[in-house]
Amino acid sequence: MSWLPRQAIIRILLSVLLVLSLYLLSAATENSARFGRLYLWLLLINGVVLVVLSGLIINNLQRLVRSFRARETGSRLTLRLMALFVVLAVVPGLVVYGFSMQFLQRGVDSWFDVRIENALEDALTLSQASLDQRMRDMQQRLEEAAQELADVTPAMAPITLGDLRGRTGASELTLIGENGRIIAASSVDTDSILPHRPEESILLQLRQGRPYVGLDPIENAGLHIRALVRAPGPDGPGKTRILQGLFQVSPRINDLAAEVETAFSEYRELAYLRGPLKDSFSLTLSLVLLLSLLFAVWSAFYLARRLVAPVSRLAEGTRAMAAGEYGTQLPPAGNDELGFLVRSFNDMSRRVANVRDAARQSQALVESQRTYLETVLGRLSSGVLALAPDGTLRTYNQAAVEILSLPLEEGVGRPLSALVQRFPDLSPFVDHVDAHRRASEAEWRAELSLDTREGRRSLICSGAMLPGEGDEGGEVIVFDDVTTLIQAQRDAAWGEVARRLAHEIRNPLTPIQLSAERLQHKVAHRLSGDEAALLQRSTETIIHQVEAMKEMVQAFSEYARPPVLQPRTVDFNALVQEVVELYRGQSTGASISVELDDGLPGLQADPGRLRQLLNNLIRNALEADDAGDCQIVVSTRRGSGRHAQGVELDVQDNGPGLADAMLDQLFEPYVSTKTRGSGLGLAIVKKIVEEHNGTITARNVDGGARISVRLPGVVSDDAQWENA
Amino acid sequence: MPLAGLLWLVLVSVATEASAFSVASFESRFDDQLLVVDARIDYSLSSTAIEALENGVDLVIVQRLGLERPRWWWRDVEVADQQRRYRLAYHAISRRYVLNRLASGESRSFRTLNALLMRLGEIEAWPVIGRDRLDPAHDYRLSLDTRLEVDALPRLLRTVAWTNADWQLSSETQSLEVRP
Repeated sequence: MSWLPRQAIIRILLSVLLVLSLYLLSAATENSARFGRLYLWLLLINGVVLVVLSGLIINNLQRLVRSFRARETGSRLTLRLMALFVVLAVVPGLVVYGFSMQFLQRGVDSWFDVRIENALEDALTLSQASLDQRMRDMQQRLEEAAQELADVTPAMAPITLGDLRGRTGASELTLIGENGRIIAASSVDTDSILPHRPEESILLQLRQGRPYVGLDPIENAGLHIRALVRAPGPDGPGKTRILQGLFQVSPRINDLAAEVETAFSEYRELAYLRGPLKDSFSLTLSLVLLLSLLFAVWSAFYLARRLVAPVSRLAEGTRAMAAGEYGTQLPPAGNDELGFLVRSFNDMSRRVANVRDAARQSQALVESQRTYLETVLGRLSSGVLALAPDGTLRTYNQAAVEILSLPLEEGVGRPLSALVQRFPDLSPFVDHVDAHRRASEAEWRAELSLDTREGRRSLICSGAMLPGEGDEGGEVIVFDDVTTLIQAQRDAAWGEVARRLAHEIRNPLTPIQLSAERLQHKVAHRLSGDEAALLQRSTETIIHQVEAMKEMVQAFSEYARPPVLQPRTVDFNALVQEVVELYRGQSTGASISVELDDGLPGLQADPGRLRQLLNNLIRNALEADDAGDCQIVVSTRRGSGRHAQGVELDVQDNGPGLADAMLDQLFEPYVSTKTRGSGLGLAIVKKIVEEHNGTITARNVDGGARISVRLPGVVSDDAQWENA
Repeated sequence: MPLAGLLWLVLVSVATEASAFSVASFESRFDDQLLVVDARIDYSLSSTAIEALENGVDLVIVQRLGLERPRWWWRDVEVADQQRRYRLAYHAISRRYVLNRLASGESRSFRTLNALLMRLGEIEAWPVIGRDRLDPAHDYRLSLDTRLEVDALPRLLRTVAWTNADWQLSSETQSLEVRP
């Protein structure tokens, strides 16, 4: 039984019980003796079952309607199947019921034939008529006997009655007084109980002078004829007594009358009970049919639901799959085709889920590799650009953005030439790359210098074709910013030169100066006027020039000297204001305007050195323009991006700008476009900037040159601080 | 709907019960150390019952007499419980109504149904219990009621009778205090 679901077992049990109770009901209907009391209980039980079934069906219907309204999957199919089952069950049932009812009514009616009824009534009338004749005879006899009692006193009455009873053939004679009291009685049956008084109505009839005769059915003694007549008494006609006689009907007549009586009364009873009988049969039949139909309908619900359940689950599962919920597993649905369908669905779902998981894993792997590569590229100090086969930019790293000083994200998915239109400075780089791409070289290397927003930069580029066909291929370009490296080499060389110069030149300068002074001192008074004047001029020239040379040597030694910084927190804006004020005081005809950013971060620096830096830069700008209408803009601002903790300073003039040839060596000693000056101004500025771990760049802008300094907010530990 | 029907049935049966049978008088006395009961019950059959009777359906009427010793703290003690069952029938050939006491088998016939019912309603000296079996320290309660026995009807009528107020014929129980 384990293969049967619990619901089905319950239903089978219920249906067996139902059939049993219906059988008992019909048995009780047919046979009143055996199931007399049972019938009512059966009716009651079946009625209860009927109500319960109706309740179940209504509940099922409500559920179905609800699910249909909610448009649940399977509700339409369930409804259709339901309707089909119900029609299949109900229509034949109703047809059979209709015919059965008709047969029943007609069948029951056919038992009651008018002729039989008439015959029975005639038989009864015949019996009564034949008995009437006997009754009149008996009355006659009794009246004759009553005459003989005229002179009999109450005391003598029993004897006379006994005698009369023998003669008349009565089974009992009773003499009753005027007052209704029994005077005497005589009976065949000695042990019989006292004869009863006649009814009041009969006595009344006799008092009115009419005799009574009638039949009296006596239990266990058969039919008797009871006759009552007036019997004159000895006290005169006023005191009339009553004589009652009981005569037995002959056994043959008695039996026949009893037969007729029984048949007639049974027939009458049957005819009378015809209505209840039909009702009872109809009720049983209706109950049987109704219960069967309701059970069928209830089972139809169950069956429809059972049939539809796997289908609706499949529909749900398919919907879930379509919505991307792979791996949905449906409960098994038996061994039929539906079961096979469900199993296939489960297999499919499992497989799809496996495929999806594999795809996810490989995606995750690719993702992690990509992240790894991006991390590596991000940490790389070299700039990397990856180009698609058609020359569009695919990816880049942060270092590339910083080296080229361009918002490369704007160029992703577009050719590099599109960037050139917006940033013309990039064109030498792009031209190089395009040239090599057109030549389809597998690998190439090149050095080039590039103007960026951060100044001129020297780059070493190398390119390589990537393996792969179609979309897979492309090119990768790696480039390094070697500006600082080249610069550092030059700086080191210049530092050496400056130290040697200072050392080698300073030594002979003092003797030269002293010698000139001594020459002047010793020889001047011996010479005549013109010669003395010549000597005077010559020695002064020597002394002045030596002074100048000493200053120059001093500057050189300054340049070559290792830094001794005394850092502290500096308000950079205040420092700029202070230095600019000094220059405003001098009436050189130049105008210096200041644009200061209030939101500068704190700066750890040596204020003395910074003052020197500002001095040099402003002086340099002032000397850039000899025309006299010099306009200088000094601006500070907070750094952006990864320099957000730093400070940026721009000094811009409106001079003729810088010669292209000079841009590379601008900050080297002895590079000057000016007639005056040691050529060390900007070199010292650069040195101070580097002492503070900053960077300095110079570039031409519209109508002049701009020098930009970037200082980190906090000087890092690897700076060479020397604690005073 | 069925509930309403049931309610109606109860109401109707209550209403007809009052008019169907009733105990008109009910007395007890000691006759030579024997507790006997005299009573008069008015019987009036519904037209439905009379029709059934004249169509050959026998009716059974039960008279029940009970004697109990009341107890306030527990269920009453049933000292005696007696029944008299009578069958009423119509004899077609003689056109008479027959009253038959079922226990003793004695029967009488009557010309009219009313005469029969009058006779049925006369209870004279119905012996209940000997005085020696009663405890003088206690009071006793006699109760009398009568009803038409629906279970004795033919089965086909029985189903109708259970649901038809015309067949629910019975009297209310009359009670009587007895002091031994």
